[in-house]
Parts: sequence; structure tokens; C-alpha cells
Amino acid sequence: MRSLPDADPGTPDIRSPFRYLWWNARRQRRALLGGIAFATAWWLAQALVPAAIGMGVDALRVKDTGALLGWSAILLGLGLVQAFTGIMRHRFAVYNWLSAAYRTVQLTTRQAARLGATLSKRLSTGEVVSVGNSDIAHIGGSMDILLRASGAVMAIVTVTVILVSTSPVLGLMVLIGVPVMTAAVAPLLRPLHRRQKRQRDLAGELSTRSADIVAGLRVLRGIGGEQVFAERYREESQRVRHAGVGVARVESLLEGAQIVLPGLLIALVTSVGAAFAVDDRITVGQLVAFYAYAVFLIAPMRTITEAADRLTKGHVAARRVVRILSIEPEVTGGTGSAAGGVLRDSYSGVTLQPGTLTALAAARPEDAIEIADRLGRYSTGDVTFGSTDLAALPMAEVRSRILVADNGARLFSGPLREELDVRGTAPRERIDRALRAACAEDIVETLPGGLDAEVAEAGREFSGGQQQRLRLARALLADPEVLILVEPTSAVDAHTEARVAGRLAAARAGRTTLVCTTSPLVLDRTDHVFYVEDGRVAAEGGHRDLLAACPAYAAAVTRGET
Amino acid sequence: MAREILPVADRRQVRAYARRLTLKYPRRLAAALALHALAAVAGLVVPWQLGALVEDVERGVAVNVALFAAGVAGFMLLQGVLVRYAVLASARLGEKVLAELREEFVERVLALPLSTVERAGAGDLLTRTSRDVDSLSRTVRHAVPETLIAAVTFVITIGAIVLVSPLLMLPMLLAAPLMYFSTRWYLHRARDGYLRENAAYAEMTEGLAETVEGARAVEALGLERRRRERADRDIAGSFAAERYTLGLRTLWFPSVELGYMVPVVATLLAGGFLHSGGWVTLAQVTSAVLYAQQLVDPLDRFLMWVDELQVGGASMARLLGVANVPEDREPAGGRPADERLSADQVRYAYREGRDVLHGVSLTVRPGERLAVVGPSGAGKSTLGRLLAGIHGPRAGTVTVGGVPLVELPPAELRGHVALVTQEHHVFKGTLRDNLLIARPGADEEAVRDALAAVDALDWALGLPDGLDTVVGSGGLTVSPAHAQQLALARLVLADPHTLVLDEATSLIDPRAARNLERSLAAVLDGRTVIAIAHRLHTAHDADRVAVVEDGRITELGSHDELVAAGGSYAALWQSWHGAPADPAPVRAST
Repeated sequence: MRSLPDADPGTPDIRSPFRYLWWNARRQRRALLGGIAFATAWWLAQALVPAAIGMGVDALRVKDTGALLGWSAILLGLGLVQAFTGIMRHRFAVYNWLSAAYRTVQLTTRQAARLGATLSKRLSTGEVVSVGNSDIAHIGGSMDILLRASGAVMAIVTVTVILVSTSPVLGLMVLIGVPVMTAAVAPLLRPLHRRQKRQRDLAGELSTRSADIVAGLRVLRGIGGEQVFAERYREESQRVRHAGVGVARVESLLEGAQIVLPGLLIALVTSVGAAFAVDDRITVGQLVAFYAYAVFLIAPMRTITEAADRLTKGHVAARRVVRILSIEPEVTGGTGSAAGGVLRDSYSGVTLQPGTLTALAAARPEDAIEIADRLGRYSTGDVTFGSTDLAALPMAEVRSRILVADNGARLFSGPLREELDVRGTAPRERIDRALRAACAEDIVETLPGGLDAEVAEAGREFSGGQQQRLRLARALLADPEVLILVEPTSAVDAHTEARVAGRLAAARAGRTTLVCTTSPLVLDRTDHVFYVEDGRVAAEGGHRDLLAACPAYAAAVTRGET
Repeated sequence: MAREILPVADRRQVRAYARRLTLKYPRRLAAALALHALAAVAGLVVPWQLGALVEDVERGVAVNVALFAAGVAGFMLLQGVLVRYAVLASARLGEKVLAELREEFVERVLALPLSTVERAGAGDLLTRTSRDVDSLSRTVRHAVPETLIAAVTFVITIGAIVLVSPLLMLPMLLAAPLMYFSTRWYLHRARDGYLRENAAYAEMTEGLAETVEGARAVEALGLERRRRERADRDIAGSFAAERYTLGLRTLWFPSVELGYMVPVVATLLAGGFLHSGGWVTLAQVTSAVLYAQQLVDPLDRFLMWVDELQVGGASMARLLGVANVPEDREPAGGRPADERLSADQVRYAYREGRDVLHGVSLTVRPGERLAVVGPSGAGKSTLGRLLAGIHGPRAGTVTVGGVPLVELPPAELRGHVALVTQEHHVFKGTLRDNLLIARPGADEEAVRDALAAVDALDWALGLPDGLDTVVGSGGLTVSPAHAQQLALARLVLADPHTLVLDEATSLIDPRAARNLERSLAAVLDGRTVIAIAHRLHTAHDADRVAVVEDGRITELGSHDELVAAGGSYAALWQSWHGAPADPAPVRAST
């Protein structure tokens, strides 16, 4: 068994969901074909058991000890073949399942990393969740079932051939009976799926409710409302219970039908066999075999029903994956190069001089975000970098030279050191300096394990202010040529904010920095301030000069304070 | 995976609980089991009929094929009908028990002690509520009934063989050691193996979700390669875990599958010898061989689900464990004489030997507005939690009207003092529901007044369905700023005597925050407010300001007094206000 994952998942065919599945199948065709071979052998070994039992009964009847021993040995041999091919089939099935699922994870991860900001704009959270929760499993499941289903078809064909060669009438009965019986349960499938979906939806809502209770537990325990929520949960829980019974009603009908329908076929085949046996057209051993064949056929029939279901689910999952894989980046770069220098957004008039700490105070916070996005080329605009149009630079170069650090940029789970030092090259001493500049040393100190501590669940165990300081330390450590910080201190207290503001200039000495903020504590420590109204620079200068000269600015940053 | 913070129930507790649940509805359980047993019996008639037919044909006795056909069809039909009702009955029972299980769990969660709720991050509890409840559902819905049915069918089939011929029972025993030992070997390792497999798989899907959700940050920070490597590493981890359990199955499956065939072969062989010796009839051998083959089904079902029972047991242990959290307070029955909140020589440590508060004393006058400021990590929030009675101090006392806060039952404590932190939460439901939790009986006017007090009434009325707009998870997304306003509105409705606000307006636009605090102050006139402040204007507007530094109150007095005193508060105020209180920083030339 070759190790997974493949280093290179390949270039998928994303012209349609079906083509995506087919492409996956082709990528793993050797494992698939090998698995199908074992699955077929496994089914055939099972299909031949009734014949061997029948022959054994015949040998027993005529008290032919030699034949009895022989057929028993064959039966045991079939058991051994079954055991061996069974486990091989299973191993191949698991391998195929995993190959397709892992490949989809790799492709989605690579696509997400390639799309970056575009993906966040184009994909709903729900879609993201279902890729991880169910889609990869369904795609794996659609590969896995191919093995057993192909073998099942072969098994049905084999049994039919055996029956036809014994008696064309019987063979014909099975040949017609099997598809008819399989199809006969079909009317139950639709209501079953509908009820299952309803039950799943309600259960999903119920777990959202309980997650909601847990997330808001502080509030509930703090100011009350536990009874209200316990009551509400109980109501929804009872609804899930009744929906579950609703599913069981149809499911149990299906279970019953899956005994009765093949049962009728068994009755038919065995009775015809009995009539033949009475007429001495077949031996009693063959009659027993007929019965065993009819019973055996239930399993491959069920497998084929299952295959239809799994392939449908795989197709739905593939549709979503294909949709994600076919998104193209919204902003693309050129092939030019730039020596760097002044970064300027011509629409607003915001201009960053190299090596300075500039501030952007916007009357509306949205304006600051829009300008930051243009300067960082997350949206298109007329921006120049030195003497070059920013749009002419390759995207990778823009990203490595200009970093926009906003509050939406999450921490990732992993060892804290790695999550802070994203380039992975900073010595301990530089990490300490960045932590100090961001006033984040105390966070690391209280963590068991310090810098080696694992950041769990995207840093959710840190408070909002702590996350913000860690994000700032991360941005400072990345040490880009141009750093654009959007509201970097909005969630920290005034004392800390004052400290951060004091340390920022030193931490970015010689580099170009823009801070979007309206906090006077930060503004006071910058070299130059742009005051933006309605998307354009309304005034610029030093913080204290602006305070004195521009009443609108003073009002914006002192919040109406006298 | 989230760190395990809450306790886990031991094996004995889980067993006792499972037993209690199983026997809680003895009649329903008995009915379901009886139906399954009857269905199994009906399923055993056909091989017996066939054995009899074979015997008759062999002896040349006249055979009524039509009657035989009707018999086979009739019993198959009967079996089908019985199975239908058996499955339905056990599903009914299962759903009922399952609903009780999860409801009891949620009740236990809702009764968790305050200090545990504050300390235990949501992670552990959330895992239990989602993954463990799901896994237990799977167990109760599928594993329990399947194994029960399998056990019933197995016993009845064995019984049928004994009935046909006790002698032909003996070959069955041949397979027992093989099955028993291989299964024991497997089960010994399976649970941990599958838990690891699930954890590795979850790690992989969580990593994927992180990449997709944080795609912009991935692009901004140039993390593409890292995320790819992380995904590949997670996949490799998942593959290794899968490979381990696959290895277990590679040994176990063949042993079991061989175990299915051995009884069939042995019965046939033994039957042959017994038949030739005249000990048993052809009919007996035929039926026994068919029964032996029919045993595969219940055995297969049983073995397929038995390890799921173990996984369910582990989940159950974690769900029950929540009830093992010890109570954090013992109501002593004291009644507060008034609303005076007072801390005396309070010390507190999260980790032994590392006090974060070093003997803080503070008396808050009823009706006073006190602002607490200080650098992060100085102990402000800890002080806030002690003043709100969430935690008890390690040394010293925090009292209201002379009674220690931690000696008041939670329901009464709430009437005296309530805490709102910057961690806001909007519950799934209507906007109105979100407020009514604080005071279930409040009328429309009170709700509107509360919203008006936090400057959120216009916003609320402007929503698509006004106060009936569905918000929270799955509904309208409420911005963090509005969520904080809702949290404060709840507090207005709850109307405790003392409010502790820990950065409760930090996510609101600074200018709006100030307006909000002013209108809130008007509504809360006469109430004591302790505001752990984020913005200096809060301190400016308060009656008194306490500066907390390094676990101590270093300055205490009105804004004007502190500014005049020229300490650290004064310095901060000056720099915020733009006056040259400290040396101007060195600037690079522009």
C-alpha cells in the first residue's frame, strides 16, 4: 500500500462534477482496478458456496464419504478464498476512499491558498463547512462503492448463469425477479430521504442550539435565563425525537420490505425447485442450492441500491468542490518590477513616504479599509509604487513587499512561535522584540510552554485584546517593506495602547508604515497624519497641528471630548 | 483537540447510568425484544421446512409443492411484518432514551458553577456538546439496537439448531475459540485506534476549514506553502491512524470470516458421519447446515457494531462527567444588610504561588460610578470577576452588605451584582428573546426602554422584522458593536443593584460608545456601576477612578484629583488629550 498523500495531487478536470469524479477514478485507476478484481473474487467465492453446499448435501444423501470430504474441503477452500479476498477488497476499498478524499482536501487547500482574499468574498461559511464535514467523505464513498458494486454485478451475473444452465425457467425468474424486487423498494426511498433530511436538519438545528447555549453560557449563568433555554432545548429535542421516529417508520417499512420482497422470490425459486426435485429433474442438493442462491442474492442487490445512493451523494459533493475549484482570483498581477519608494493612492491622495510612520484617520472607518485595500492591492485602483503602477507587479511580489494587517486576519492553530514568525526565520531575540513592541510579552509568559504552546482553535482561547496584540506582533515580525495596520489597537486598553504607540516607531524604524486609526494616543506618535473625509484627504500634517488647525479632525479623534 | 478541562465520569458511573437507562422503560424494552425474537423465529421456519421437504422427496413421500410455497411465502411475510414493528418499537424507545440523555446533559451544563464556566474555555464543553452527543446518538440509534437484535437472533438460531439436533450443535463450538480470541484481541486495541483515527481526521478537516476561512490572511502573510504543508502533514497523520486500524482489521476480519465458514463445513462433515451412522436424518442435517450459514448475519451485525458501543461509552463518560464538577459555593444563608460592595485585603491566584492581586481593598459606595483603568495584565478583569462574585478570593473577602458574595446562591447573587464582559454573545432566536432572558416577564415597553437606554432602539426597529427579527447563528448577523449593546440592554432589564462592566463597550465605535455610556448612566441612575475602562473618557465621566497596576490599586480618586496628582493616570490623560505631558518622541523627518 503506497503512502498517502501524493506529493502532487495533479490538475483536476473541473468541467463538470462527473468529470471530476472520473478524473479521480483515473488518478487511482490501479488501486481501483485491483480492488475491483478482489471484490469480484470475493463475491464469486460467496456465490459458489450454495453450489458446494448443495453438492455436499447430495454426497451426504448417497452416503458418498469421499465426495462429502471433497465438497467440504472445497467449501473450506471457498471460506479461505473469501477471507483473503475479503480483507484485500476491504484494504483496497479503504485506500481508494482515502485517496479520493485526501486528494480533494489537497486540491481545496491549494485552491484556497491560491485564491486568498477572493475566496473569502465568494464563498459562504456554510459551503466551507460542508466541504470539510461531508463532501470529502462522499467523494471518498463514491470511489469505495465502485469496488463492491462492480463485484456485486458480477456475482448476480454468475448466479444467473448457474441457474440458467440448470433450468432456463429458474434463471429467467431470477433474472427478472432481482431487478423487479430492487425496483420495488424504490418508492420507499424518496419519503425516506425526505424524512431523513428533515431529521438531519432538525438535529443540526438542535446542535446549533446547544452550541449556542455553551457559547453564551457566561451570559446565561451571569444574568439568568437557564430555565428558558432548558425549556427551549427540550422542545427542540422532542421535535428531533419525533422526526427520528418518523424516519424509523419508513426505515422499518423498508427493512420489512427488504425481507418480504426477496422472500417472495425465495419462495418462488424454492417452490419451482421443489417441483423439479419432486419430478426428479434436479437433486435435493440442487434444491438446497437454489434456496441458498436466492438468499445469497439479497446481499448484492442491496449493494447495488447502496451504490446508487452513494454515487448520487458523491455527485452532489463533487458539484460543490468543482465550484470552489473553478473560482479564479479577482485581482491579478503583472510581470513588471519596481524599485519601491513612495506608495500613493491617487483617488484618496494618501501618500506613504519611504521610511516614515504615517497615520490615516478617517471620519468613516470604511474609508480607511477601502484605502488600505487599494494600497495593498486587494482591490483595484490607481496606485503607484515608486515610479511603477502597482498593478504591473506580480501578485506574489506585492504580497511579500506590502502587508495589510487587519483585524479579520485570524491566528492559525499550531505552535505559537510558528504562528507568529510566519516566515520561519526570526531568531528568538527578534521574536521577543516584536512581542515587546506589541505589548504581548505577558500573554506568552502566562502560557504554559511559552512560545512553544499550541494555539488551539484559531486563538479563540485568547481574549479579543490578546488576539489583537499577537496579530500585531506577527505583522511586525513579518517585517515587510510597507506595513499597513488597520485599527491595530482598537481592542486594547488605553494604557497598553499608549505603550504600543510609543514602541511602534522604533520597531518599524527605516521601514514604511501606515496606521489606520482614530486614537489620539497612536496618532500623536506618528510622523504625518492624513485626515480622510468621504474617501479623500481633507487635511494633512502633524497630529497636534491638525488638532489646532482642523476642527473636524479634532472632533473625529477626541470623540467630542472637550 | 481542545484541552480537557472538565472531569470525565469513571467506568462505574457509566455502567450504572447505562443500566438505569436500559431498565427505565422495562415494558417497552421487553416488547421490542419480544418482537425481534418472534421475527427471528419466523426467519428460522423456512430452512426447517426445506429440510423436511428434502427428507420427503428423498423418501418419495408425496409432496404438496403449493402448500410448501405458501408456507415459505407466508413465513417470509410474517418475518417481514414482525421486523417492521420490531425495528419501529426499538427506534421509538431509542429516540425517547436519547432525547432524555441529551436533555439531561444540557440541564447539567446549564447548572455548571459560575467559576467553571468562566475558566473552562468553550472548547472542551463544545466538543462534548457536539461530537460526544453525536457519537452517543449514533450508538443509541444504531449500535445498541443492532447488537441487541444480533444477540437475540443469535441465541434463537443456536436454540433452533439444538432443537433440530443437539448433536449438530457441537460442530458450532469449533469456531468459538477463533472468534472469541481474535475479537478480544481486536477490541482491546480498537477503541483507542478509532478515537485516534477520528481525532486525526477532525484535525485534517479543521485545518482545511481554517485555510478556507482564513484565506485572506493566508494570502496576506504568504502562508500558501505552510498551509499546503500543514494539509499534507494532517493527511499523513490521518493516513497513519487509518493504517493502524486497517492493520487491526486485516488480522481480525479474516479470522472472523473464516469463523463463519468453519461451522458450516463442520456441520456438513459431522452431519455426514452422523447421517451415515443413522444418528440424524437428512432433514436435520440440511436444516442445521442452513442454520449454520444463517448465523453469519447476526454475528456480522454484532461484530460490526460492538466497537461502536465502546466509542459510545467513552462519549457517555464525558457527558456524565459534567455532573462531576464540584459546586463552587455554599450558600450560608446570610442576608445582605444593604448594597455596599466592599473588598478587603483581597488576593487571588490562577496558579498556585502566583498572585495576580496583592491585597486589594476597595469600598464602592452605593450609587457610585467607579472606573477601573490600568495596563493589560495588571489584574483589572480579575478584580472585576471577584467584585461580581464569580470567583472567591484566595485571601481576604468581597462582601455585599456584610455577606461574602460567594456565600449567596447564584439566583440571589444576580439580583445584587451582574457582570458584562467584552465577550458578547447573541443567542439564536428573535431579538426580543435575546433580551427577555434577563427578565422573562418583561413587557414590550420595558424591552423598548432597555434598547433605548443603550442607543439601540432605532437600529432594532430598523431591522427587517423589528424586534422579531431572527438573529444569531443562522439568522441575521449582528455586528460585535450591536451585540455589546444587546448585552448591556439585557443588563438594564435584569436591573441588578451593582453592575460590573468589563470593557463592555470596547467594540463600539469610540464616539458612539461615549453617547451610549451617557444614556446608560441616565437609566442606571442610583445603581452602582464599576466600569473597567478601555477608553479614557469613561474614566473622565466617572465619580472615581481606580488605577490598577501590577495587582495593586496605585491611585484612587476623582478624575480631577488624579490629574492634579500628576501620577501615571495624569500622564496618560495628557498624552491622550494632546497636551505635552511627556517628552515628544523622536521623529524621522518627513
